[in-house]
Amino acid sequence: MTRDTMIDGWYPVSLASQLDAHGRSTALMGEPIEVRRGEDGNAKVTGGNGRALPACIRYGHVWSSLGDPQKPLFAIPEADQPGRRLVDVGVVRVRCSPLRAVENFLDIAHFPFVHTDILGAEPHTEVQNYKVEIREDEDEVWATQVRFYQPQAAKSAEGGITTEYMYRVPAPTCSILYKTCPPRPGEWDVITLFVQPLAEDLCDVWPWMALFDDETPMTDLIHFQQTIFVQDRSILENQIPRLLPLDPGMEIPTRADLTSVAYRRWLKRHGYTYGAQLVAQ
Amino acid sequence: MPAQSPAGPVALWRTRSGRAAAFADRCPHRGMRLSHGFVRGETLSCIYHGWSYAQAGNCLRIPAHPALTPPDTIRVATQHVEDGGGIIWISVGEPAAPPPRFEGLAPLRSMVVEAGIVALEAAAGTRAAGGLLDYTHDDRAVRLLLAPEGQARTLMHVLADEDSNPGERIAASRAAESLRRVAEDIARGGIAR
Repeated sequence: MTRDTMIDGWYPVSLASQLDAHGRSTALMGEPIEVRRGEDGNAKVTGGNGRALPACIRYGHVWSSLGDPQKPLFAIPEADQPGRRLVDVGVVRVRCSPLRAVENFLDIAHFPFVHTDILGAEPHTEVQNYKVEIREDEDEVWATQVRFYQPQAAKSAEGGITTEYMYRVPAPTCSILYKTCPPRPGEWDVITLFVQPLAEDLCDVWPWMALFDDETPMTDLIHFQQTIFVQDRSILENQIPRLLPLDPGMEIPTRADLTSVAYRRWLKRHGYTYGAQLVAQ
Repeated sequence: MPAQSPAGPVALWRTRSGRAAAFADRCPHRGMRLSHGFVRGETLSCIYHGWSYAQAGNCLRIPAHPALTPPDTIRVATQHVEDGGGIIWISVGEPAAPPPRFEGLAPLRSMVVEAGIVALEAAAGTRAAGGLLDYTHDDRAVRLLLAPEGQARTLMHVLADEDSNPGERIAASRAAESLRRVAEDIARGGIAR
């Protein structure tokens, strides 16, 4: 088998705010790692055999890699925009493939059934046509003009609205969602899903947000997102097979699933197969 | 509810009008377990995206595309179901004969035993015949219908005499529980009492 190109990617391994000298023991793609704050204040990450791994701090998290990252971590320009509140949501451990966690994040059709009366509600189940593309220059998957009726789109939303979304996949286990911002029309709220692959069928999900919302208490913002992700977990831990099937035949996509179709195609093209299965079984 | 068959996990459900059905426990759309789904009228819907299926396994509705009539190729594998005498039977493929009837017996309760049939037979001191284990405990006969779920687990249905009184039924239930404990001890390599 060829070396999985995902080995050279950056992955979240800790909240930056929880980094301390004592350190945190965790894992990355099956290898035990240690994450701690060094004497110079920077993040230090060591692998299973004590070797130093690449490390950086960005978007509220510590990022590391088992391999040799060929690119810096992807950019989120909105993260540096003044006036946004940055929200560390914390971690949700999910017994599923890291790729399934991302794919679920890209899916809106489940909102009325899994996030009932929060992100969706019957009879508003229709998924309108939207645009999906693999942007060759950035090498990212993008879905735009995604619209969905939501009873309570965000903590700051009152009553139902049709929310517009854009989804972006800049790395195999990371996705960024841009979403209508109720208090500030013309701007987008940013909600990210950073997934740490612990094993092919186990991951830690670190959601993170950059919002225009000065009203809602931080606890409520965190609670809202945690509620959503715990609801998703009940799905993700019960999908068969556990690994994401990249070849057609095992699952039946529809027009509503075009983001997922593009995501799977992009993964396959790059050989990003950690957490995937290639042949239908 | 989730159940097991020799062909793998099944989602066992009953339509509003009372008909039982057994589906392969996997929605063909995204692989979600259908036993987590919900029944509305005569259909079972997947909890993930609400795709709903008729008793025959064909997909009737895809909520993301309300105007679309799903093609007949979208369907869930089904298994043959017989529902009689208070017991639901499933068969992989077309059954050669109808399921047995247990005259004079009424189903009391079901329990999962973390042991195979061999350990249950050892605990009962008798052999099962035709899936039925006659177990005598404190001079009281208890009839147990055994459905293996792999080598190490058995779904055990307790059958009581049709005209037994509540006290006798409670005793039969407790006898079955004690048999379960002994069988699980044996399966764990412990010593049977």
